[in-house]
Amino acid sequence: MKRSKRFEKLENRPVNQDGFIAEWPEKGFIAMHSPYDPVPSLKIVNNEIIEMDGTPREQFDFIDRFIADYVIRLDRAEVSMSIPSVEIAHKIVDINISRAEILEICSGITPAKMAEIINQLNVVELMMAMQKMRARKVPGNQAHITNMKDDPVQIAADAAEGALRGFSEEETTMGVARYAPFSAMALLIGSQAGRRGILTQCSSEEATELELGIRGLTTYAETLSVYGTEKVFIDGDDTPYSKAFLNAAYASRGLKVRFTSGSGSEVLMGNAEKKSMLYLECRCLFVTKGAGAQGTQNGSVSCIGITSSVPAGLREVIGENVVATLLGLECCSSNDQSFSHSDMRRTARTMLQFFPGTDFIFSGYAAEDNYDNLFAGSNFDANDFDDYNVIQRDMQVDGGLRPVSEEETIAVRQKAAKAVQAVFRQLGLSEVTDEQVEAVVYAHGSKETLNRDVPADLSAVEDMMKRGITGIDVVRALAETGFEDIAESILNMLKQRIIGDYLQTAAILDEDFHVLSGVNTPNDYRGPGTGYRVSGKRWEEIKSIPHLIDPEKF
Amino acid sequence: MDSRDELIKEVIARVIAGLVQENKIAKDQIGPMSEQIYLSLHSSDQNSTGEKDSRASHRQSESRVDYSASVQAAHGMDPKEVVIGVGAAFQTGIKKTITGLDLGEVIKTIRAGIEEEGMSARVVKILDTSDVCFMGLEAAKLSGSGIGIGIQSKGTAVIHQKDLYPLSNLELFSQAPLITMEIYRHIGKNAAKYVKGERVTPVTVVNDPMVRPSYQVKAALMHIRETEALDEHIRCIEWN
Repeated sequence: MKRSKRFEKLENRPVNQDGFIAEWPEKGFIAMHSPYDPVPSLKIVNNEIIEMDGTPREQFDFIDRFIADYVIRLDRAEVSMSIPSVEIAHKIVDINISRAEILEICSGITPAKMAEIINQLNVVELMMAMQKMRARKVPGNQAHITNMKDDPVQIAADAAEGALRGFSEEETTMGVARYAPFSAMALLIGSQAGRRGILTQCSSEEATELELGIRGLTTYAETLSVYGTEKVFIDGDDTPYSKAFLNAAYASRGLKVRFTSGSGSEVLMGNAEKKSMLYLECRCLFVTKGAGAQGTQNGSVSCIGITSSVPAGLREVIGENVVATLLGLECCSSNDQSFSHSDMRRTARTMLQFFPGTDFIFSGYAAEDNYDNLFAGSNFDANDFDDYNVIQRDMQVDGGLRPVSEEETIAVRQKAAKAVQAVFRQLGLSEVTDEQVEAVVYAHGSKETLNRDVPADLSAVEDMMKRGITGIDVVRALAETGFEDIAESILNMLKQRIIGDYLQTAAILDEDFHVLSGVNTPNDYRGPGTGYRVSGKRWEEIKSIPHLIDPEKF
Repeated sequence: MDSRDELIKEVIARVIAGLVQENKIAKDQIGPMSEQIYLSLHSSDQNSTGEKDSRASHRQSESRVDYSASVQAAHGMDPKEVVIGVGAAFQTGIKKTITGLDLGEVIKTIRAGIEEEGMSARVVKILDTSDVCFMGLEAAKLSGSGIGIGIQSKGTAVIHQKDLYPLSNLELFSQAPLITMEIYRHIGKNAAKYVKGERVTPVTVVNDPMVRPSYQVKAALMHIRETEALDEHIRCIEWN
């Protein structure tokens, strides 16, 4: 065939490098509704659920059982299940019906019913649902802070810059897993050097992550994964019950926790049981609720390459975000993983969470160049900061970030890097040279920094863990080396663990360590003129992007 | 198990599978062997109707190999050995990694890295899990030195140590499309160095944010095939 020049040109467009696959329900490659999804049903006898979504109690797997016993409110179930799904969907987008009323209805429904409700809503209606059902009044944002060298100095500097730019939470992870304690400590110091009150966490193996939390080197945890089929749960050596215990372990030490799930994981792990991604994610979120977690990081997350490969995949993603909010959970809505070569497509994907606003629009915006992002790349990265700020300004939408000046950015990067250098010296850990600090402060990424002595770092990490170094030791080291203000901030973060208010749904802290959560600052959207509106000081901040034309000088 | 036991077991499985087909017992109440037979019967029924279903069943039977005559993997006594645990479909259902590296060459290369450091390599096939971290840990537990390597058929690899948590590791190479032969050799070398108790500099981390969009669907398809090739009753066998 003689080739068309137009088709040749189109073939080379970035979007055609993405992976797409036709629906294949037998292997779980189906977004919203599989022909094998169960039909909603619920039977209660003697205050016990004896049938749920077509499965009799004796055939429940452990996920069904956990949901039947701990999630669905029996006093609500009969009424809620009798309302047609389309009617519940209507109520969800009806501005005259309050968030509280919707939460009440949804506390008595089954996972299959939830999936059926979401199937009634198109993407605009799903955004309307998110705008009303998000837990916290003001939306927020979270950053990924990582680099290819696991360089703690760069983690601190990027964390400080991220905090200055407006992120409320910052998350790190490692290329070499054993670096975790250094990464956690550097993130803790750097974040507070940028702006007070930032929550931080270190995504690592669960036992390690728990220990770092208990030691006060992190202030929240996010990597408690749950799955939608029993087989995938078992493959991870886990059950809903073990996750509930782990959640309680964190709570007992006053640490904020959210769970993680997301569509596509069961497909990727080879055990989707022919069910739709949406239905399986509903099961995950019901388990999350039952385990007592205040919130979830969901929206396909690291399996976005799977969900986005099938028809209606990205509608499913905002759909599962909405499910979280319908269960009253904090929703940290993904957007944290690269999934497309196309700038148009990746932007379109994020707008579904950006326009309505979620508790955290990204559960990891790469606050570094994506080559340094050790979560295998985020959907937006440091190169997109100015685009993001302009889109906030164009749309008058609060995406959680703000424009910053070069001078103030360099200043906080410097402060953070020097603080880490001082703490490392004071605690007798591996060396951080002045040259390294200098390189990191002005660097865009790890390609411009000096190499660390990795074996020396790793043995210092081991030593640090053996010596039982905690957050308090970090506070002391900072106070003794002239960084009293950062020391005081970290001490305040540790105090939150005793106060416990930030364990409430969707909590973040302001600069004065006041909790802003879905409980004390709930989303009160009820249509035009209500809810959160970008105005006043915040609007001035969003408006003031650099590179404005000055008419006086024109 | 001798061959007569095997035969009896198969006859029973066929009878049970037949009962399921006639709806006399529920499919989820039967064991894996009967289920396998049931599925093969079931797919021949459906060949004319459900094209997708038959595709799945066909693939399942194609990637399923009978390991019942294979030698169970032993716990090694050699303190100088590194055990490499390969995936269930390795060199059977799947011959090449996600980027097309020949799996035989991959093993040869890892082996060469281990031997270069004066240690020895033993390869086992893991049939009870397709999760790379659990595979690596299982290999480490079988290893006389306590150091093992897990490698999935798509190429994802991990260096593990027997006393670590399953989802922890010494070094993890999670982005299979970025792993070159040079890196596989380095993985072998580093595993051997952990055996020797040396100060090891981990293999330099490689990262490409466009790996997921390009490869995640392929990765899922390969992983599905690997998971279908599991044989949980045999668990783990010696492999070439």
